[in-house]
Amino acid sequence: MDRKPVFRAKGLTKVYGAGTAEVRALAGVDLELFDGELVVLLGQSGSGKTTLLNNLGGLDKPTSGELWYRDLDLTAANEDQLTQFRRERVGFIFQFYNLIPSLTARENVGLITEIARDPMPPETALELVNLGNRFDHFPAQLSGGEQQRVAIARAIAKRPEVLLCDEPTGALDVRTGIVVLEAIERVNRELGTLTVIITHNAIMADMADRVIFFMDGHVHHIRENAVRAPVSGLKW
Amino acid sequence: MVIISHLNRKLWRDLRRMKGQVIAVALVMACGLAMMIMARSLIYSLDSTRREYYEANRFGELFAHLKRAPNSIAERITEIPGVAAVQSGISVQVTLDVPTLDEPASGNARSLPDFEPPQLNRLFLRSGRWLTPGSRREVLVGEAFATANQLKPGDTIAMLLNGRRQELRIAGIVLSPEFIFESRPGAALPDNRTYGVFWMPYKELASAFDLDGAFNYLSLTLAPDGSPRPVIAELDRLLTPYGGRGAYSREDHPSHIRVSDEIRVLTTVSIGFPLIFLSVAAFMTNAVLSRLLALQREQIAVLKAFGFTNQQIVFHYLKFAFVMVAGGTALGGVGGIFLGHKLVIMYHRFFRFPELVFRLDYNALMLALAVSVAAALAGVFSAVRRASRLPPAEAMRPEPPANYRPALIERTGIAHLFSHSFRIAIRNLERKPMQAFFTVAGLAMATGILIVPSGFRDSVAQIMDYQWDTMQRQDLSIGLVEPANPSVVNNFRQLPGVITVEPFRAAAVRLSFGHRRRQVGLQGLPNNGHHTRIVDASSHEIVIPQHGLVVSSKLAEVLGAKIGDELIVEALEGKRSIGTVPLIGLSADFAGVTAYMSMASLNRFLDEGDRVSGATFNVDEAHRSQFLRALKDTPRVSWVAIKNSLRENFRQTTAASIGLIQSIYMAFAIVVAFGVVYNNARISLAERARELATLRVIGFSRREVGAVLITELVILALIAVPIGLLMGTGFATAIFQAVNTETVRLPLVLTSGNYALAVLVVGIASVLSTLVVLRNLNHLDLVGALKAPE
Repeated sequence: MDRKPVFRAKGLTKVYGAGTAEVRALAGVDLELFDGELVVLLGQSGSGKTTLLNNLGGLDKPTSGELWYRDLDLTAANEDQLTQFRRERVGFIFQFYNLIPSLTARENVGLITEIARDPMPPETALELVNLGNRFDHFPAQLSGGEQQRVAIARAIAKRPEVLLCDEPTGALDVRTGIVVLEAIERVNRELGTLTVIITHNAIMADMADRVIFFMDGHVHHIRENAVRAPVSGLKW
Repeated sequence: MVIISHLNRKLWRDLRRMKGQVIAVALVMACGLAMMIMARSLIYSLDSTRREYYEANRFGELFAHLKRAPNSIAERITEIPGVAAVQSGISVQVTLDVPTLDEPASGNARSLPDFEPPQLNRLFLRSGRWLTPGSRREVLVGEAFATANQLKPGDTIAMLLNGRRQELRIAGIVLSPEFIFESRPGAALPDNRTYGVFWMPYKELASAFDLDGAFNYLSLTLAPDGSPRPVIAELDRLLTPYGGRGAYSREDHPSHIRVSDEIRVLTTVSIGFPLIFLSVAAFMTNAVLSRLLALQREQIAVLKAFGFTNQQIVFHYLKFAFVMVAGGTALGGVGGIFLGHKLVIMYHRFFRFPELVFRLDYNALMLALAVSVAAALAGVFSAVRRASRLPPAEAMRPEPPANYRPALIERTGIAHLFSHSFRIAIRNLERKPMQAFFTVAGLAMATGILIVPSGFRDSVAQIMDYQWDTMQRQDLSIGLVEPANPSVVNNFRQLPGVITVEPFRAAAVRLSFGHRRRQVGLQGLPNNGHHTRIVDASSHEIVIPQHGLVVSSKLAEVLGAKIGDELIVEALEGKRSIGTVPLIGLSADFAGVTAYMSMASLNRFLDEGDRVSGATFNVDEAHRSQFLRALKDTPRVSWVAIKNSLRENFRQTTAASIGLIQSIYMAFAIVVAFGVVYNNARISLAERARELATLRVIGFSRREVGAVLITELVILALIAVPIGLLMGTGFATAIFQAVNTETVRLPLVLTSGNYALAVLVVGIASVLSTLVVLRNLNHLDLVGALKAPE
């Protein structure tokens, strides 16, 4: 297969602190991520997967190594370029939703579509995550699963090229978690957005095109699933 | 080894993390306390120094001037029940020729007993020596005059004693408890260059003024059980046949009044300003702590879950407040003592004490501590109580998203006009009205207190540049030794350089209304005169009718009289006429208290024929010194008041001290403005860190995120500033009313420039604070926002 990778990391390291307090969160990561695939990044707490995600999303800079987003060298980008990168290319989904409490569902999405280049209408994004009847509710009036789906709608409304999800079901029960994963899977399938999901929950591996096993700050091995299991069938 | 508990370590680190806000609160508190400690200590210094001076030098309690009475009368006065000690003597007006002065100077010469120290009103020898008993041609000179004219012991001055020129040798420079403030009687403002006080042997003065075996001035002290009223009545009864001008107590003593007026002004300052500043500090403490506690919700829960008691937790956060209090008090104490030392030197320009040093009022220090602890407690209490009530389990859960709803203004149907960041801002404000209220209140106060100091500055400028020249169109005034025939004006017109001359009549009178009375100089002004103008509060000229009296509005206030009331006027000289005159106008003058009548009606009232007491002049600038030297050779001239030298004197003393105080207040007000605005911006940032970091993560630039914060701040400022300007007007009105005394009254002048400056300062404070906050936005922990709420 001769595809150009969206992300390309080579010998990526990230070191926090110095001396005896030194922590090597990333210890030489080599990785390529491609258009349209759904990748599950699996690893235990402290394995460095969140650090990797932060580096991919332009929130943090590696200590050494190469990290490219297409032709953009993320290791050399300045603050403004990173902001621009996040604004135009990346959709984030967080474990704790991080909605703006003072804005309604529609406004939380609208906040992003206001600044994006080619967004979809907020209503369309919310309908994609099956929240067509919750437009004018404030976060406090929504359940956890609904809040996370608003967060997904917010992330996808700008038609990002990559969707980065950090433990998106971490704060949710199983049933609600499945609804959220279904929404993410649907976005990936229908919009073809490269989607990276971080989790420590091995069950979710089956929904992915590729599963990257992460351990001690580097890629331990990569598994390719011949077929993506339907999310509704996941059990944990 | 010092053991610091872990909780204290947390306290220490929290303090370090919030050092900007802690310092802001401590500074605002320090400003209020410094002002309070400074003012209370100055009151204490002035009051205790004066009291000790009075006691040590046996300052009289009652005073009386009269024409001439034999010394035996003084003996009889000693026997009045309630009288402790009596000192009689001579007090006369003299004219001087000071070699360094172009114009004649005048003064008050007092007698000293020939061979013993006086019973009362003893002098303090600053330099030189006492009079040699039995000597002649020796004089002691009051310090204010000596300093202003650079006179030293051993110098000679020429004095006209009852028309006879005498060369006198200065034996010593002295101070008197009767002249802590040296000023010509009846003069609204002091000019120490041209007016002084002198002491000479009784014998010499008595023979010069034909008062052998007699006295014309008396002062006495009361026995511990003596009450002033019956003694004054008895004195008046005894002295009236001898030309008594009416006895009076310390409360009417000119020098005593001046010091008391100053103490009254300081009292206002020591209450008014700190009250405002400390209220702001209490607001800020409350804001800082309640928001800190909101941010530390989970930490508090964990502490409680691990078994810390409510008291321990409350105590922990109280310590946080007390660090600010301790910092504020220490800083305020040091600042107050420093400023007190600076300001006490300023009083040396006005008041002559043997020694006036700064004395720290320890009670004020304790009071300051108590006040700031109370302010902090008030700030902390509600916040801490809320935290300690939190059940641990509830607090352990991350706070659920706060309930919001569309803001009122959006519900009016214009919602589509607003950007998202504007919506975030207004919904936040509407959801937390108390916090918005505190911020608005703080900002409004910060704006308001900026109005007062500029008001002082504008007021002084109004006096110096406008009022002075509006009310006095003459260049100078002179007073005659004795009232004279109006033809004297023709002689004056012949003096070199005279452009215009207008006569006036003046007499010492007592004005009474009801049971209140005051001794004042009553000025009779010529009809159609152009020099002295009397204006009312709205700057309109008051034309004095043939019958009726105009008085300084402060005098009317002191007497409790209003326009239309009939005042009793008693002349204290000449034929001692008495009559009632209607009060027909209130003069908006700024210094001293005076009464005005038409010259014709004053002469009719005094019943001594057509007389003039002096004249006002406009003099050609080129012939000015010639004119003054000619005056020196005119024996009938008793005093000269030069408008510009009085103005210069005012500029160097009263205006300078007001300027000093004004700049201190201004500095403090600016500190408060910055403190409040900065604190508010920092707290908003801390509270919203997660939300703002999220915005950054999902692609908002720093500027866009800053806009959310700034929108909120701008909305609050737009609400607060107009309220602040209104509050400031209120503060200024109240404070100006309180500091206006019989000595000096400042007109309330509120210019648009003053308001603009207040807005500008708050604006700049806001911009700078915003910049600091925006800088902090750069350090916003983007990764942290993705984690669980803290």
